[in-house]
Amino acid sequence: MKIIGLIIAVLTGALLIYGTVDFPEWADPASPASTHLSPHFIEKTMEETSVPNIVTAVLADYRGYDTMFETTVIFAAGVVCFFLLRILKKEGPRQRLYRHALTGMTIRIRDGEKRPSVLDEFERIDTMWTPYDVIIKTVCRLLIPFIQLFALYVIAHGHHSPGGGFQGGVILGASIILLAISQDLRTAIKRMSEKVDAILSPAGVFIYAGTGALCLLLGGNFLDYSALASILHVDPVTARSHGILIVEIGVGVAVMATLIWIYNNVSSAGKYDEGL
Amino acid sequence: MSQQYPALLVVVPLLAALVICGAGWVNKRLCFPIAVAGLGVAAYSCIGLLLRVLDEGVIVYKLGGWDPPMGIAYYVDHLNGLVLVVVSVVALLNLIASKKSVAQEFPDKIGPFYALYVLMVTGLLGIVVTGDAFNLYVLLEIASLTGYGLLAMGEDRAPLAALNYLYMGTIGACFYLLGVGYLYIITGSLNMVDIARILPSLYQSKAVLGAFMICMVGVWLKMAFFPLHAWLPNAYTYASSAASSLIAPLVTKVMIYVMIRLILTVFTPEFAFNILAVSEPIVWLAVIAIVMGAILALGERNLKKMLTYIIIAEVGYMVGGAWLGNRVGMTGAILHIVNDALMTLCLFLVVGNIVHKVKGYAFEDLKGLFRKMPFTMCAFVVGALSIIGVPPTCGFFSKWYLISGAIQAGHYAFMVALLFSSLVNVVLFFRIIEIAFFEPFTDHHAHGHDHQPEPIDEAPLTMLVPLWIVAAALVIVGIYTGDIVNNIIQFAIPEGII
Repeated sequence: MKIIGLIIAVLTGALLIYGTVDFPEWADPASPASTHLSPHFIEKTMEETSVPNIVTAVLADYRGYDTMFETTVIFAAGVVCFFLLRILKKEGPRQRLYRHALTGMTIRIRDGEKRPSVLDEFERIDTMWTPYDVIIKTVCRLLIPFIQLFALYVIAHGHHSPGGGFQGGVILGASIILLAISQDLRTAIKRMSEKVDAILSPAGVFIYAGTGALCLLLGGNFLDYSALASILHVDPVTARSHGILIVEIGVGVAVMATLIWIYNNVSSAGKYDEGL
Repeated sequence: MSQQYPALLVVVPLLAALVICGAGWVNKRLCFPIAVAGLGVAAYSCIGLLLRVLDEGVIVYKLGGWDPPMGIAYYVDHLNGLVLVVVSVVALLNLIASKKSVAQEFPDKIGPFYALYVLMVTGLLGIVVTGDAFNLYVLLEIASLTGYGLLAMGEDRAPLAALNYLYMGTIGACFYLLGVGYLYIITGSLNMVDIARILPSLYQSKAVLGAFMICMVGVWLKMAFFPLHAWLPNAYTYASSAASSLIAPLVTKVMIYVMIRLILTVFTPEFAFNILAVSEPIVWLAVIAIVMGAILALGERNLKKMLTYIIIAEVGYMVGGAWLGNRVGMTGAILHIVNDALMTLCLFLVVGNIVHKVKGYAFEDLKGLFRKMPFTMCAFVVGALSIIGVPPTCGFFSKWYLISGAIQAGHYAFMVALLFSSLVNVVLFFRIIEIAFFEPFTDHHAHGHDHQPEPIDEAPLTMLVPLWIVAAALVIVGIYTGDIVNNIIQFAIPEGII
């Protein structure tokens, strides 16, 4: 079987290479990809959408419909992870570990045993707990606000520089995941609960698709942001630019919430109790 | 609002899926009505759109208001108008029919289940309606991703089977994407009509050949065409009834549609049938697919798995019919998309009802079912007759077109394969009918033998009524085949194919 597989792989590779023989030269300015549509985008983007970053304009406006579904793909991945992994039955771990913060003493309480009343001097720790590192904890605590600020900048500045909703959303999500890694999963869930993730994730996509549907209700085609001009009180071209910003925010929210949601489900195997 | 039907039929289910996901956290009972409403609007838009297409011809819808090929456009003609109606109606009927079994199988995950269900239908509808080769890939991703999730939730072996499907499906989708990439490099466009306009001067290019073959192989992987079918039986068998009766009728059929769309619109029949000399070998592959599907189905002692092998044989019917290269064969293939979706839905709904009541689908579990579940089994007989191809059920007519096409093309092996598969289907289904009709019901849990006749213990009405609608549709579509072919399918096939 391995030999058959190898032969098929080689044949497929050969076919692919054979197909490239008639490709245009590498970076040829006269290639069809550079002459067919690109001139239009390069020349007209500014006057049609008033967005200086052509990539953003193509991504979120000319082909904004694809981008909406790319966001939906991420949302779908989040839902699938939740659907397959989450264990909703309330069954606690067989044992919980508590650590006395001052002395470092650890006690173990099996499931069903009576909990001592003085437990509030203890903190709950994971089974695979390693002693806290002050440096890591402090650095992460210092960095996270700046990471989040930078994420907001990336989302907002997608019009002018590389960036946008996907990248900004990933950075935002990563900041919360960093919290979960540097402290523990329960701390992160205290900041962003499961329900918040699960509602923000579709809400972000809803901002995108809802903006498109709003255009439709205002008399334009789906995702034709220029129809928003009447409620934004700007001219149609500027309305396109604003429309892009609105959907980028939607993308950012969806990507952030979905990443955290996926991380929570995967790292705790659906139990939301002990993370990595 | 009728101007906006092409957008509504995708956007409304998408919004519904998002709302369901949120509503699941508020009140689980809200999920089902929202799903029905979303798919109901989609089905209404699809039917309205088909009626408009019948009146006005091809409808172009520009998303974002941008002219193609700058932006993305929907092209709705008779071909995808028809397939859209089939997809949306099948999904809606199955949604209603499976309400009880969903509540039984995933009591605490109703919200995410319905969200994925509606999202999957959104993806399938989007694949069918789009006129943009890359947009098709994006929607394909949505339909596949949600499909993997839905299939992975089921019996113990379901996750492994779904993982297998995920590998194969991802490779298939990547192949399609690679093919689109090739096309983009040499034409600079992603719009199907625009590509077809540019391609004729490039027909001799090796890159077009490469793109064509990669796209085809990718699509075949997704539709489980014979040598590439290995993922399908287990993935469909071990999934929950609600998921398998959505995915089994629709996904393979939608991928057949994609193949026909690639032949007819993107690469044009001139290129596919005349310039390339591949139609003959592909029909031979289809012959092998039909024969192997039939033989593998014979070896199964398990109703659901047997049906999955029948799907593989049916895929062979449609691929072969489309590649015969003549008008009659293509008509048969397109008609069979409609019929096979309905037939497969009918049989999988029957399996769903049986699982709901008997908790099993092996042949031993079927004993005495005609007495226990007479209404379900009557629908099963109608579905079985249609798969076999007995008039006046619709299966007969599409098979008739396929066989006439084979004779016209002089491809007698394909004709023989179709007849062979029909004969095998007779054996398959009469074997089941025999078990279910003559052998007494045995309850594995009851002790002792009393020879009292088993009382009727039917599935609930919400499952029976949609099943009966589908069974009736099999006969009605069969009777109106002439109208469907003359008014819709005839216009779906370009003049060039004789």
